[in-house]
Amino acid sequence: MTPRILVVDDDASLAEMIGIVLRAEGFEVFECFDGAEAFEVFESCDPHLVLLDVMLPGRSGIQICEDIRQVSNVPIIMLTARSDTADVVAGLEAGADDYVPKPFKPKELVARIRARLRSQNDAGEEQLVLGDLAIDQSRHEVRRGDEVVPLTPLEFDLLVALARAPWRVFTREELLEQVWGYRHAADTRLVNVHVQRLRSKIERDAESPSLVITVRGVGYRAGTGS
Amino acid sequence: MWEFLGGSLSLRIAVTLSLVLTVILLVFIFVATNVLRSDLFSTRRDMILADAAVRFSQVQNTLDQSTAVTTDQVQDAVTQTLTAIRESAAGAGAVEVLLLRSPDSSEAFRINEYVNPEYISVIGGGIRDELAHDVGLWQSVALANGADTIPGIIVGALIDVPYAGPYEMFVVYSLEQEQSTLNSIIQVFTVGSVPVLLLMGLVSFVLVYRLLSPVRAAAGAARSLAAGNLSSRLRVSGRDEMAQLGATFNDMAESLQSKITDYDSLSKLQQSFVSDVSHELRTPMTTIRMADEVIFDDRDALPPASKRSAELLHVEVARFEQMLADLLEISRYDAQSAQFDPESADIYSLVEKVVSANAELADHLGVEVQLGPRPERCSVPVDAIRIERVVRNLLVNACEYSEGMPVRVTVAAGKTSVAIRVRDYGVGMEADTVRRVFDRFYRANPARTRSTGGTGLGLAISKEDVTLHNGVINAWGEPGRGSSFVVTLPRVAGSAVTEFPLIVWEDHA
Repeated sequence: MTPRILVVDDDASLAEMIGIVLRAEGFEVFECFDGAEAFEVFESCDPHLVLLDVMLPGRSGIQICEDIRQVSNVPIIMLTARSDTADVVAGLEAGADDYVPKPFKPKELVARIRARLRSQNDAGEEQLVLGDLAIDQSRHEVRRGDEVVPLTPLEFDLLVALARAPWRVFTREELLEQVWGYRHAADTRLVNVHVQRLRSKIERDAESPSLVITVRGVGYRAGTGS
Repeated sequence: MWEFLGGSLSLRIAVTLSLVLTVILLVFIFVATNVLRSDLFSTRRDMILADAAVRFSQVQNTLDQSTAVTTDQVQDAVTQTLTAIRESAAGAGAVEVLLLRSPDSSEAFRINEYVNPEYISVIGGGIRDELAHDVGLWQSVALANGADTIPGIIVGALIDVPYAGPYEMFVVYSLEQEQSTLNSIIQVFTVGSVPVLLLMGLVSFVLVYRLLSPVRAAAGAARSLAAGNLSSRLRVSGRDEMAQLGATFNDMAESLQSKITDYDSLSKLQQSFVSDVSHELRTPMTTIRMADEVIFDDRDALPPASKRSAELLHVEVARFEQMLADLLEISRYDAQSAQFDPESADIYSLVEKVVSANAELADHLGVEVQLGPRPERCSVPVDAIRIERVVRNLLVNACEYSEGMPVRVTVAAGKTSVAIRVRDYGVGMEADTVRRVFDRFYRANPARTRSTGGTGLGLAISKEDVTLHNGVINAWGEPGRGSSFVVTLPRVAGSAVTEFPLIVWEDHA
């Protein structure tokens, strides 16, 4: 199956260039140049991954991100020209899984896309238990009792990484490598924001988390749920 | 005491005024009592002299009219007379009457002296000598009164005693009454001046305190202004000097506020400009970059001229991208929008990481990078990305200019700081280069050209990076002997560097 990728960028040259590179890598690419139309295009092409520019005319990337998250857990990678501002955090908080700062190398972009798509494919067979959560890796599903807790693939991977080694404290860098697929140290804000999002979905009280515990000065570890 | 008062002008003035007033009051009391004393004394003395004259003539008259002829009779008459006089004179303040035989008398007929031994001592020789020649003399004396003495006056006169010749008669007057009057007056003065002094101190304190209230308000407003509250102003009323002070202060604050607001908006403009440029340039840069990669990857399929062009394009696009990144970084520093979130990091591990990440480049240039031993305790709060950038920059520079000689990287830890030195033994630097090496776009003499085109901003950014950590970066070099760069970082984020664990140049030790 050829993975479908939606590229949303108002800069037509860049969108076309990304299309050329990604097609050469064997992806099927859909392009959209206007933020206002992005959601329609998303619904019509039903992509496996969305590349989303933050600054868009019509509707901003952050708003589109929120729109998509209402209906889908599809991986979203933000393309941003301002890696040092609040834009990045806002994008991540709106539900983006990862971001690639402009200007990026084509190989870097492809690596990020593959890392996000891979996580959906190579799930283990194990059944994991974390507190009162049952994690079914083969079905990519998390249940609390009979109730399914909806998680994005990235949040699922993050939870699995922690739950597989509940005795271990993971540094943010280790999680970046294991969950996001970064080889070199990257922006640890990615981890912080997604841990917050994960907690808001699985914790009974996100203010005093019991499943994903912060280890001050080190990173995170799985909790017992009590 | 003065130091304690140093904090309050009002208190200082109040105390000073009270002290001055105390001195004035003391002088006044002293002068007034002296005048009063001599006044009281002379009035009383005149009365005493008049009274004494009457007593003497009474005694003389009585004795003159006496019919006594024998010694005993004379003796009796004298005693009677004197006793009577003593009693009658008591009302006028006399305490004793004495009758002594004149030392000059040569009469054989003598009577007993009329003497109270308690008072004999107060009659000095002086008055008796003078009495031999004169009548009605007086003398001030101190009379014993228990443990104290009280002032008194004795008046003397020669009395002609029948048959016995001249005798000296003395009347002793006490001035106890006058003394006690004087004492009460002094007491009234003293006791009365205490509340005056207290009141004076209090009133002057309150007055000066109120007078200075605009000054205090100005100080408070200035403090608040200094603390960053630019809208702090003084309330101005009246047209006196204090009101002028307030108005001037407000003018100053006003112009300060408008200046700072101007700079603020300029700085915001600058920041948003940098941000906009960043966005506008980065998007086409990304397209160029990707197009370049596609062409570069396919270069072998191109004719030779196009292939070489693709290679040149590839190198220059990378350089252009680096330059753009450097420019944005330095403008971020200029706009003071660089964020500093230090986290404790092991400097040796950081340097080790940079050295191994650049091993390929060093190999390519044929340079051996020697990393010194690990010092103990070399963790420092840093922005690791920035310090890595600094070390990478220094290391790459050193490799570029080392001309195949080894590059030595040393990390050393001091009590309050940690230092990194990157030393090469290559072309070195002229004195002028050393001075300007951190300047933007500074290009040294042609001997210092590099194989991979730098942006001319690397060391300028390194200096900003180190300065952001409150660290110090020093450079030294000599032509033909190589160059040395030392970065010294404080152990406590925000504190200044006071200790340099590594020297820049071996000759400088």
